[in-house]
Amino acid sequence: MKLLRSKIFFQGVLIINSIMVLLPVFFLLNSSLRESNDFASTPFALARDPYWENYSKVWSEGSFGSYFFNSLIITGGSLILILILALGAGFVLGRYQFKGNNLIFGFILTGMLVPAKLAILPLFIQLKWMGLLDSRLGLILVYTSAALPAAVFIMSGFFRSLPNDLDNAARIDGASEIVLLRRVLVPLVRPGMAIVAIYSAIPIWNDFFLPLVFLQTPEKKTLMQGLTVFFGQYASQWGVLFAGLCLAALPLVVLYLVLSEQFIKGLTAGAVKG
Amino acid sequence: MNIKRFRGLVAALFAAATVVAPGASVASADTELTFWSWRTEDKAFYESQIKLFEAKNPGISVKFTPYLNTEYNAIVSTALTAGKGPDIIQMRPYGGMANLSDAGNFLALSTSDVPALKKLPAGILAGAQGYKDKKQYGLPYAVSALGVMYNPEILDKAGVRALPQTWSQMLAAFDKVKKAGFLPIGNAGGNGPALEQLHATVGPTFYGGTSFFNDVVAGKKTFTDKGYVASLKAVADLAKYMPANYQGIDYNTARGLFANEKAAFYIGGNYEIGYFRSLNPSITIGWFPAPKANAGAKRYVGTWADGAYAINAKTANKAAALKFLNFLGTKDFGQALVDEIAFIPTAPYVKINDPAVKEINRWRTTLGTPFLNVVGFRYENPTSSSILQPGFQKLIVGGTTPEQLAKDVQTAVSSWYGPQKGKS
Amino acid sequence: MSSALRREQNRTTGALLIPALLVIIIFTTIPALTTLSYAFFAWDGFQRGSFNGLENFQKLFAYPYSDQLFAALKHNTIAFVVIMTFQTSLGLLFAYAMFRIKRGLRLYRVVVFLPVIFSLVVVGYLWQALLDPFYGPVNQIITGIGLPEFAKPWLGDTATALPTLMFINLWRWVGFPAIVFLAGLNAINTEYIEAARIDGASEGQIFRRIIFPLLAPSLTIITVLTFIGAYEWFDLPFVLGGSNGSPAGATDTLALMFYRLSFGSIDSGANNVGVGSALGVLIFTLVGLGAAFGSKMLRKREVEQ
Repeated sequence: MKLLRSKIFFQGVLIINSIMVLLPVFFLLNSSLRESNDFASTPFALARDPYWENYSKVWSEGSFGSYFFNSLIITGGSLILILILALGAGFVLGRYQFKGNNLIFGFILTGMLVPAKLAILPLFIQLKWMGLLDSRLGLILVYTSAALPAAVFIMSGFFRSLPNDLDNAARIDGASEIVLLRRVLVPLVRPGMAIVAIYSAIPIWNDFFLPLVFLQTPEKKTLMQGLTVFFGQYASQWGVLFAGLCLAALPLVVLYLVLSEQFIKGLTAGAVKG
Repeated sequence: MNIKRFRGLVAALFAAATVVAPGASVASADTELTFWSWRTEDKAFYESQIKLFEAKNPGISVKFTPYLNTEYNAIVSTALTAGKGPDIIQMRPYGGMANLSDAGNFLALSTSDVPALKKLPAGILAGAQGYKDKKQYGLPYAVSALGVMYNPEILDKAGVRALPQTWSQMLAAFDKVKKAGFLPIGNAGGNGPALEQLHATVGPTFYGGTSFFNDVVAGKKTFTDKGYVASLKAVADLAKYMPANYQGIDYNTARGLFANEKAAFYIGGNYEIGYFRSLNPSITIGWFPAPKANAGAKRYVGTWADGAYAINAKTANKAAALKFLNFLGTKDFGQALVDEIAFIPTAPYVKINDPAVKEINRWRTTLGTPFLNVVGFRYENPTSSSILQPGFQKLIVGGTTPEQLAKDVQTAVSSWYGPQKGKS
Repeated sequence: MSSALRREQNRTTGALLIPALLVIIIFTTIPALTTLSYAFFAWDGFQRGSFNGLENFQKLFAYPYSDQLFAALKHNTIAFVVIMTFQTSLGLLFAYAMFRIKRGLRLYRVVVFLPVIFSLVVVGYLWQALLDPFYGPVNQIITGIGLPEFAKPWLGDTATALPTLMFINLWRWVGFPAIVFLAGLNAINTEYIEAARIDGASEGQIFRRIIFPLLAPSLTIITVLTFIGAYEWFDLPFVLGGSNGSPAGATDTLALMFYRLSFGSIDSGANNVGVGSALGVLIFTLVGLGAAFGSKMLRKREVEQ
């Protein structure tokens, strides 16, 4: 256990991990800037002379612009709904004592066990009956429902961890419950919202299966859905493929970099007490 | 994020969503047909053909949408089951989509609606019929044929002068190529379906081709037949000619080995030629039918109708859809199919210019035998293919024996296929 | 509590809880229950036939499905045990390392979590290229350092396919437990640790006696999420091995089998919705029981704190 005293050991562990993570990422970026044909024979060669045509090809041929926009709408719309609903439900379940609280909490948690794929057929028929097939709203609602259980689970944990004195002080000042939530508690659970946002956005942005099944109009296609078709079309053009992969990964990386301070703060706020 | 800003964002996003959404509902006087396919790689081809169709048929436009092939069945079946599919559907052959045909999802086609059907032989038409009602639901567009492709330049360098006629001659040729420092075959084990096609190429001569096919279909013979076991063993015998680490080489890499002139032979279907040429436009490809098992055996070319075009039974644009389907049955379209993507067209009146395809088609017409699993046993689960594909992957690494694999197939098929019920 | 406040709270409860419950009931609960009901009917393609009791379950437990079922179950279980052991302990190591250092912390926090936000499509294609037996850099490196006998067809050999998949899973997910544990560590009151140090406790003792017990809630969350994830493992095996769990079913999982039975496979034909739904019932029961047991432990811990 002497090791545990040495900072050099910890630095070493983290440096090795960073190499393990960054090397494949570098390979991805590097390959996306090389001409497809020489990839097979020399997978390691550096893209000394970046071949940006791969990116322009991806952008122009795959109507990536519109896919991108659709993915933003769907992921963004779902996130907003998830955050609003999870704030409300998390507040009630985390701070109110009432009969059935545990039961409802347990019921919501069962939602975490059901992957949407398991219920794809009935869901399809149901969406059609509701007129929500081939609609972004329908997809947003399905994603919201899939992400809510975990979101409520996380938010209620945050609400539970706040001291009760806050509520009482606000109530004595004459604040209604809604004002209490909005003015007093929401600013304090912001880190929790960042966790929910990132945790929910990852599977929604990256999903290609539900859009494939639920969206038929080509104009509504999402980025990942478009990408899978694009891969078939350029199966032998590695450079173009890798450029597509890089472009597809970019938005979430940016979102994470933007939110990471809040996210880390949220996690370090000690709210992961369950 | 404060709540006010938050609310503004909600409003903006929903506004954006509603502004974008109505785009599709703006009605136009023109008919727009939707056309789904799993051939992402043929997108450019179909789009150029659709332009020709639209030029000749003002007022009708066609929107071609290819989907990821591995997800295609799930997408089409959910859409059709819920009554919301495209007007035209590229249909998988035989058991691939027969459950959808039987459920009444496709428009039954008559020869007066689609005259091109009259010119197709019965064996091809069967590829797009319902399993139960035997009605014609699709217009088959291409046939596939299995054989051995080779690189004449490598054979020359390795000193292989004559094309092998028998199994032992072929293995001798492989040995010679190996000695000369080339890979004998590009085929590998990473992909179960590719191994199944390999078996369908070299196997029929061992089990007796079409007459065995008829006997199994009729329940007179079973998969545990000696000949069939021998055909499975043939696949195992090829393992040592596969590239190093063959069990882990995926489909694209395997094909790349032949296309990039590292392997002398590739055993498989004519549909690979288009891919080979896309990787290496300058490659010369020769073709011969799989060799006979021994001097007394017969040679066979595995063949089947590889896909069809069908019309959604619930289409709102039946007349326009039929018009487009008939366009897909024209000689010009068939010609483009063979010239541009090297498919063997179903229509007998199309002229094949590509020398390799021409050669394949000549052999196919004389030595053709149905692809046993595809044509006969993909109608219910567990299909013979669902046992054989992982089975071959085990077989080539010694994880199972030909006898055991044959028994497994028999058990699976006899669980649902009437004429084989109770037989082992 | 005053009755006016109680009334207001009741109203608030209704207004804030019901929308979330409705969304979950309509878009998750009802479709899930419908799927489960499918298990008790005969199916012809996508046409529902007559009620057939437990026949689908009998079929599921007979050849050839039983072989696939038990093989898949074994793979899921291996995945749970291995992922739990390695991913979690590595995650804990990274978290503790980040907890103990200052220099480069901001960078490490981003890097550790980076693969988690990559799409599986990206991760799948990337590793397929890296591990290609012919052109792949991994084997070229292994051969380059003089160990050509270890240059294996990682994803294609039945012996290495599942371990390789679990490694890729680890590469992608280890940042998640790392960040969660880091959060748990940062929540620990440093006064305890300082006091222990002053009392002369070794770092090992501090870790075992103070830090690890306080991390228990994080560990329980990770365990439950890993359990659910491992028994519903689908995306990575699908992207890398296809719906048949190639090679030779070595990477087959329960969820892949469910998908295959529900929709048929492109290369091998027909589906069987009835048997597929019976499998769905089984997966749901298994995961439900496991997670319920896990949450119970979780609640118990909460009380103890």
